Amino acid sequence: MTIGAAQPNDNVPIVLVIDDCVDVHRLLAARLRNEALELVCETSGEAGIERVHQIEPSLVLLDLDMPGMDGFEVLRRLKDETSTSDVPVIVLSGMQSPSDKVTAFDLGAVDYITKPFDLMELRVRIRSALKMRHLIQMLAQRAQIDGLTGLWNRAHFDERWADETKRAERSGSPLSLAVFDLDHFKQVNDTYGHPAGDTVLQGVARLIQNIARQADIACRYGGEEFAIIMPDTTPEHAINLCERIRVAIIEADWHGKPGQRITISAGVAGSTGQTSIGRAEWIEVADRNLYRSKSEGRNRASMTDVGSKGPRLADAG
Amino acid sequence: MSDEQGTPADQPLISEFASDPDMIEIVEYFVEELPKRVAAIRSAVTDSDAQSLKTLAHQLKGAAPGYGFTVIGEAAGVLEASLRVSDGSIEGVMGQVEDLASLCQRVRIR
Ligand SMILES: [Mg+2]
Repeated sequence: MTIGAAQPNDNVPIVLVIDDCVDVHRLLAARLRNEALELVCETSGEAGIERVHQIEPSLVLLDLDMPGMDGFEVLRRLKDETSTSDVPVIVLSGMQSPSDKVTAFDLGAVDYITKPFDLMELRVRIRSALKMRHLIQMLAQRAQIDGLTGLWNRAHFDERWADETKRAERSGSPLSLAVFDLDHFKQVNDTYGHPAGDTVLQGVARLIQNIARQADIACRYGGEEFAIIMPDTTPEHAINLCERIRVAIIEADWHGKPGQRITISAGVAGSTGQTSIGRAEWIEVADRNLYRSKSEGRNRASMTDVGSKGPRLADAG
Repeated sequence: MSDEQGTPADQPLISEFASDPDMIEIVEYFVEELPKRVAAIRSAVTDSDAQSLKTLAHQLKGAAPGYGFTVIGEAAGVLEASLRVSDGSIEGVMGQVEDLASLCQRVRIR
């Protein structure tokens, strides 16, 4: 379920130490033994940067004074790279020079800790950096969740669709997109009122979420439109999933609010692995299939395999 | 530094964190490894390897205070700074090497 993945991560945060001196690793491990965090250590700037990419730590503790690539350069590189620029960095400074601290802040460090470590200072600064990180992530995530349905919103869809199409292109793995639109939703609103309409949107979102799998990205795409990005999913599998959603919705009991059955139409565009279609055009193909489902009588799903030459149309429902 | 009876120079040097349960294990580790560090410093002196001597002093300066041996960190810092001004001459820093070594000699776990 998509929303499960959207909940703030309650796993133990990983803190990466980059310091050429293994004594510092040992001291930090001893000092932070009782903190709710996992410590990972690297002894060089190069290895440290690689580790950041690999484990995506919640916090980096970075020594400034290192042979080879020093802490300033590490900081510069982390901040220059989009994928690592958000990771908070606390600078470990043995040097008393205030100008180093200023430089570190200018480069994007969130705080500094002076060596040798004062136990209390070390703990509160790390806790506060981790807490800040957690809050920022929570806010960022909230900004991408649709308030009414709890699904991902359009902004998140746009971001993830760009990511997933790039990823599929790189890896040659299948990828499918399904778009949905509730049938005659305006009529539901007009007949039973907007509260009933909202109930329908929430109920449909819940059904979509229950049927979608862990890796699927279920979004509220617009007013009564939904979309599911399905990584590693062929169009055939995607349309099966859409079928299950369609059936679940028509079978849903709304307990009189609204007092009628609800149906949904769907359009799928998916690739089995090889495709030259652009990501905007890909959405258009899914949309065209959705309107084809509508024009052929609604309450159905239509699909195009965008991977094969000459789009092949198939129906279900 | 030394005088006749019960001199500070003869007294054991104990970590400032000797009674900290979080720290005792790694302080012991540091104390056990310390003779090796001193031996490495001595052999850098014998080899007239100013570069290694400076690195070793720098490392000890950084490490010792963390284990609760501030004075050793300071002595190592003095050695490192002296090497910087002595321009690679080992003879010029022998006094600082001996000061550091005798401090290290006094270190005990408890
Ligand atoms: Mg260092």
